Amino acid sequence: MRSRLLSVRTACLGGAAAVVLAAAACSSSSSSSGTSSPTGSALPSAPVKTGGSITVLESSGYSGSWTTLDPAENKEGAATQDFMSAIYGQLFELGPGGQVVPDLATGYTFSPDAKTVTVTLRQGVTFTDGTPFNAQAVYWNWERDLGETAIKNGLNPPWLIAMQPAPKGSPPGTAEPPAPGAIQVTGPYTIVVHQIVPNGAFINQLFDSIANWIASPTAVQKEGTQFGQKPVGAGPFEVVNNIPNSELVVKRNPNYWDKGKPYLDGITFKSVGSDEAAYEALLANQGQVYENMSTTTLINQAQQHLQVENNLGTSPYDLQLNTAVPPFNNPKARQAIYAATDFAPILKSIFGNRYPITEGFTGPGGICYEQYVPGYQGYDPALAKKLIAETGLDKVTIQLGTINIQTAQNTMEALRTEWEQMGLHVSVSSWPLSGLIAAFEKNGGKSWEAMVQTAGAYDPAGGVGVGFRFNSKSPFSGVHDPKLDALLQEAQSFPPSQLSKRCQYYDQAAEYIAKNYYGPFYFTFSPANISVHGVYGPGISTPLPSVAVVPTIPWEDVYYNPA
Amino acid sequence: MALVQQIQLQGGSGARGSARRIAGSPALRLVGRRLLAAIPVLIGVTFLTFVVMSALPNNTAQAILGLNASPSAVAALNHTLGLDQPFWQRYWHWLVNVLHGNLGTTVNGSSVNSELATHLPVTLELLAYSLVVSLLLAIIVAVLAARRPNGVVDRLSLTVSMIGLSAAPYAFAFLLIVVFAVKLNWFPVISGSLGSTPLSFLKATTLPACAIGFPLFAVYTRLLRADLVEQMQREDYIVTAKAKGVPPWQVLIRHALRNSMFTLITVVGLNLGTLIGAVAIIETIFTVPGIGQDLLNGIQNHDVPLIEGIVLVFALMTVLGNLLADLMYAVLDPRIRYGSSNS
Repeated sequence: MRSRLLSVRTACLGGAAAVVLAAAACSSSSSSSGTSSPTGSALPSAPVKTGGSITVLESSGYSGSWTTLDPAENKEGAATQDFMSAIYGQLFELGPGGQVVPDLATGYTFSPDAKTVTVTLRQGVTFTDGTPFNAQAVYWNWERDLGETAIKNGLNPPWLIAMQPAPKGSPPGTAEPPAPGAIQVTGPYTIVVHQIVPNGAFINQLFDSIANWIASPTAVQKEGTQFGQKPVGAGPFEVVNNIPNSELVVKRNPNYWDKGKPYLDGITFKSVGSDEAAYEALLANQGQVYENMSTTTLINQAQQHLQVENNLGTSPYDLQLNTAVPPFNNPKARQAIYAATDFAPILKSIFGNRYPITEGFTGPGGICYEQYVPGYQGYDPALAKKLIAETGLDKVTIQLGTINIQTAQNTMEALRTEWEQMGLHVSVSSWPLSGLIAAFEKNGGKSWEAMVQTAGAYDPAGGVGVGFRFNSKSPFSGVHDPKLDALLQEAQSFPPSQLSKRCQYYDQAAEYIAKNYYGPFYFTFSPANISVHGVYGPGISTPLPSVAVVPTIPWEDVYYNPA
Repeated sequence: MALVQQIQLQGGSGARGSARRIAGSPALRLVGRRLLAAIPVLIGVTFLTFVVMSALPNNTAQAILGLNASPSAVAALNHTLGLDQPFWQRYWHWLVNVLHGNLGTTVNGSSVNSELATHLPVTLELLAYSLVVSLLLAIIVAVLAARRPNGVVDRLSLTVSMIGLSAAPYAFAFLLIVVFAVKLNWFPVISGSLGSTPLSFLKATTLPACAIGFPLFAVYTRLLRADLVEQMQREDYIVTAKAKGVPPWQVLIRHALRNSMFTLITVVGLNLGTLIGAVAIIETIFTVPGIGQDLLNGIQNHDVPLIEGIVLVFALMTVLGNLLADLMYAVLDPRIRYGSSNS
């Protein structure tokens, strides 16, 4: 048997998240002044009211674009996490204050070496088709999530599970399911996962992956390929009508395990073509909530008429420098970029000072948040000019790139302006996601020089986390340093009970990145959720940390009380 | 309909004789010739699109699977989608499949045929609505304006047309949204599915149809008005009609308008292909589930089969639009007989 580290993050959440990471970086209208919470504070609220329905608008470029709602087939996972969580619920939720809240699970324990994880499940729950929810159902789903279909789609969760070799003569990429015994049902409501290396981030990776959504095995077998259009789960809502890429209507699940919830009778999720159109629709009360607004000017306008909730960001912008090729294979050239870059005016003029500056890969919504990093080279124009002259950086043209999303492009242009004032020559490019990937991969990763990106996640070991941008093995990293790789791996190896130890290693990694000038960080971005007055709930009127760039709203806790 | 009229005009009573006459009909020969000529055009258009899409930097499989997908998963999807094949082979396979009625599979795994079957009718309905309304309004306004050149109606129509010609469709679309959706709440901001009843269809499509149709209305009005004025002032047959005592309105509508329609029909035929840009933008703004929105998504995802399918449809629409315009000439002017020596 061949063992392999399944070291990739779930593309389901991470991949789609990357789009928004990049994007980030990616009733009647009221005339009263709106309220905003630039730092993620709670908005005024009203008493809980049961009943009523709302329309939630989703951007057609991200969350409003879906083809299937089957977890094992769902390539738009992070984008469609609202729909999925409304239909399936979650095993674990990331709740207010960054607390991991058991939902359909009731708890978890790690072995002392952080290799084995035991998850206990809620009893007495049934799927909306009457199938019992238990460990067998979870096992059946996880086998599927780690199996051929999901692996083929790049959706398999990032668990460090021993893998079997692909059958002889299989084409490249053939599914390599987990070894027998890697996942075990040890009781009617208990399931155990054996990992081959210590991984204390397991639960944080679980709620960041498709395996957090459990489908009814009976319904999957009955509906076959149509299951993605007629999904059945044990979540707070059940599907009434599903028109992919256009409209999803859900109604309250009368047998939901948490009695009294959900508060709403129904939700209509509607795809909308642009931030501007969504904003107008809210003003016309043709929608009550719009998620993930990233257009700063509209966020500012929305404060005059609507509720604006800036959730707690976990993914800071960073400037990736490719240390494999000139000019940034020279540490002094990298230091010159640190010293030549002043993020304060960029943050003020483009983002209205809405987000906190950070010097590392963690954000205020995530674990191990360290805003200021010892030894971080800040803005120092005199030093920058000296280093530029010393390294000859002013005699080359720096290739700076990013994804073709407005906020990222604005940031890139601002950087160019700053650097040109220091005597540097800069050529800028932007691409759609597929072009950006190609730019990273071109010439074996030796063509690009600098990229405006984001790095980080709620758990640095999850999502598009720190390893994604700084690990030697990642094709989207500009750093190839075994010592940094070891630090990041070590940080992942402690169970959650030893979080402070994990954080110590992440602090060391942040200092190591700063000391070697591997890439400056700017600030932690998180798109805003906009709503009409009267809609309340986590992520809408109270801040939630981002799971994969954006928070997963627990719709069972949302209510509408326009009075 | 025009073709049927042509056939009836020239047809006889016997079934066999009719069949022979239909086969030898100049109109049918024109249709046949134009459709044959369209084949290299369509191949050329799709080939150029293929070349452009191939020249762009991309990694479609990685984009679909996400940045975190394993290299083996990316390789497998590339293989499944045929993206690991050489350019010529990919284009040849696509072409052969098209000839068999199969437009391929989108990067999301759905068939392009079914995507078009679902979304093309929506776009066609929207376009038809825009064209019919813009044409009807343009004809009415142009006739009124040409009745008294430099009069109040003429000047007013000039002002409105200039606004229509200079305003970007997307800016006009948002203006419509602010006024008619947000302030007056008459229409939805989000069209979504276009509804099942005529009323819901009109409610959902009126704003996007206006956004597409207003610039068309402006162009058509100016063209038709200019032609009508020229006919009314310079043509001998108009002078004759007036001398015979035919009332001015009748001269304008029954004589001048009929002749002026030639220019309008030509422009409408040519316009069909150029509408692809407006449709893509307007459908996105109003969230109309048509092929314009599909096209933008396809470009974003580097979804070559989907883009090729949509480009093929629009190229076909342009060819058919021009063919229809040619046939309409014969309907408007019985002297025109395609294929005859004096055509």
